[in-house]
Amino acid sequence: MSTIVALGLFLLLAMFLVGGRRGIRSFVSLLLNFVLLFMAIVLVAFGFPPLIVTLIIGIMILGVTIFMGADSDLTTQTAFYGAVIVLVIVVLLIIPVEHWAAVQGFGEEDSDDIVGFSLAIGISFAQIAASTAIFSTLGAIAEAAMAIAAGLNEIVVQTPHLSNHELFQDGSDIGRQIIGTTFNTLFFGFFGGFLALFIWFVGLHYSLGQIFNNKIFVAELLEILFSIIGVILTVPITTWVMTRQRHD
Amino acid sequence: MKNMKKIQSHIQLPAKWILILIVLGLLGVIAVHFDNPVYQQTIVRITHVTNSKAKSTTDEFNNEDSTVTQKLTGIITNGRRKGQTVHLKNTYTGSHATDQRYYSGNQVFISHNNLITDYKRDTSVALLFWIAFSLLLLIMQWTGMRALLSVLLNAVLFFIAIEIDLAVHGSNILLIFGGLSIVFTSVTLWIVLGFNRQMAITLGATLSGTAIAMALSWLVITLTGSNGVYYEAMQYVTQTPKPLFLAETLLGSLGAVMDESTDIISSLFQLKKEQPDISAHQIFNSGREIGREIMGPLINVLFLIFVADTFPMAVLFLRNGNSWGYTFNMNMSLGITQSLVSGIGIVLAIPAAAFLAGHFSGGERK
Repeated sequence: MSTIVALGLFLLLAMFLVGGRRGIRSFVSLLLNFVLLFMAIVLVAFGFPPLIVTLIIGIMILGVTIFMGADSDLTTQTAFYGAVIVLVIVVLLIIPVEHWAAVQGFGEEDSDDIVGFSLAIGISFAQIAASTAIFSTLGAIAEAAMAIAAGLNEIVVQTPHLSNHELFQDGSDIGRQIIGTTFNTLFFGFFGGFLALFIWFVGLHYSLGQIFNNKIFVAELLEILFSIIGVILTVPITTWVMTRQRHD
Repeated sequence: MKNMKKIQSHIQLPAKWILILIVLGLLGVIAVHFDNPVYQQTIVRITHVTNSKAKSTTDEFNNEDSTVTQKLTGIITNGRRKGQTVHLKNTYTGSHATDQRYYSGNQVFISHNNLITDYKRDTSVALLFWIAFSLLLLIMQWTGMRALLSVLLNAVLFFIAIEIDLAVHGSNILLIFGGLSIVFTSVTLWIVLGFNRQMAITLGATLSGTAIAMALSWLVITLTGSNGVYYEAMQYVTQTPKPLFLAETLLGSLGAVMDESTDIISSLFQLKKEQPDISAHQIFNSGREIGREIMGPLINVLFLIFVADTFPMAVLFLRNGNSWGYTFNMNMSLGITQSLVSGIGIVLAIPAAAFLAGHFSGGERK
């Protein structure tokens, strides 16, 4: 049996034992997100415009993660609308910044991996870089939006006559609770993925100046910052959506 | 989550101070933009650009692209040759895989023989860092600053760990990063929770959940003989790939497991405070209840981080006539394996957190 299948079955079993049917649903959402992401790559390789593919599939990934992750309608709808608004804002930030920082395609450290490939493939790697950044922020935005929406939902159910101002206070209280630990998820997630690159940098004695202008490192750092900005924005925006949703 | 309302009263930062800090940050960004004298490498500011006509190219896979040659004129902005005018050449393709188009006003690093070596990107990093910092201050205030502090402290620890790893030439990398995981977790939880029983239990849950998941995953990987996991496709490898991969996976999942354990255990402590007579068994069940809500989205966070980065390389593979299967194996198999192992850690931390909170939260009884 292939290792990935074995690990996948093991994860499915663990999720079922801990989470019951809910666990199975979470596993299916992971599987669907993989299919969506792979589809995005294939569509882009076929020649569809990367940013449009990313936006459509990105919204679908948010939908899968959020609607399969929670039960309450008010929670999921609030989280989804909040996450989509944040996604749009983050995309408007990502496109110019990625263009300005010129972190597209491959860096010097990738040379060994792209030897023998035809690089003039007629697809904009600048757009692909923006797509990569957008995809990498989606999970964090969805998670934060769900945490805020679920917390506020609980409060709205218990004390329905809360003013909007009080609701915003509660929203930022919940935001404060999740922000520290969410940073850690992002920090370790990104840096864990690039341990090898950092060993390379330190081993070859890159100067600080080289590191902070290095294409791959800057691309990675920008991705973390986009995610962090996305998560912070999620707090007031999801709360704002909740103030509007709760009366519907 | 009904306890959310009674969270620690936070200290409000005066608006004046927030404004001052934000303005100081902006000055910092401007300083970074004009930091050329600090660099050892020669930096040129491009003042004039002439582009050749685009030449169409077609490769063996019928990919159509174009190539443009640029003649650039610029002024050296730092070092001994400061003020000199230089003429540079650049070639770019429409797809920009390893090249880029330069515009007047761009700044580039050049070598001694006037070849462009890199593009100056530090201002963009500084600006984005400033945006994140300002938003943190405005929306999260002190809590945001504390989160920032913990990330910066971890970055320093991370750097020290790499120095140790290099000093011993990458032997025992798993032992080093395994040991450092304990330090990382302790420091982070200490900053977030302070030094108390709750922190000790969260630490225990994070470490035991992660350790059990890593051990079981290692067993599964060994039993299946790493079938379908292509360590040779790992990028930037300067040391033995397999242990390096496991160390990456360990670190990658650590933050998420910590995130989850903190959430579960703080809710359970709150529960215990409200209902002091609740049994360990009931606490365990509530913990499971909370955990099953968080685990799905959390695994998706890591999955998207690990797999999104394979996007450019996967597209390159596909456009070079490779099959879907080969492209998956060479680019995504490692990221998927990493996501699955992390997922196992995230799931197993739930019973660990619920069990430990159920059995050791007793001292909080009032």
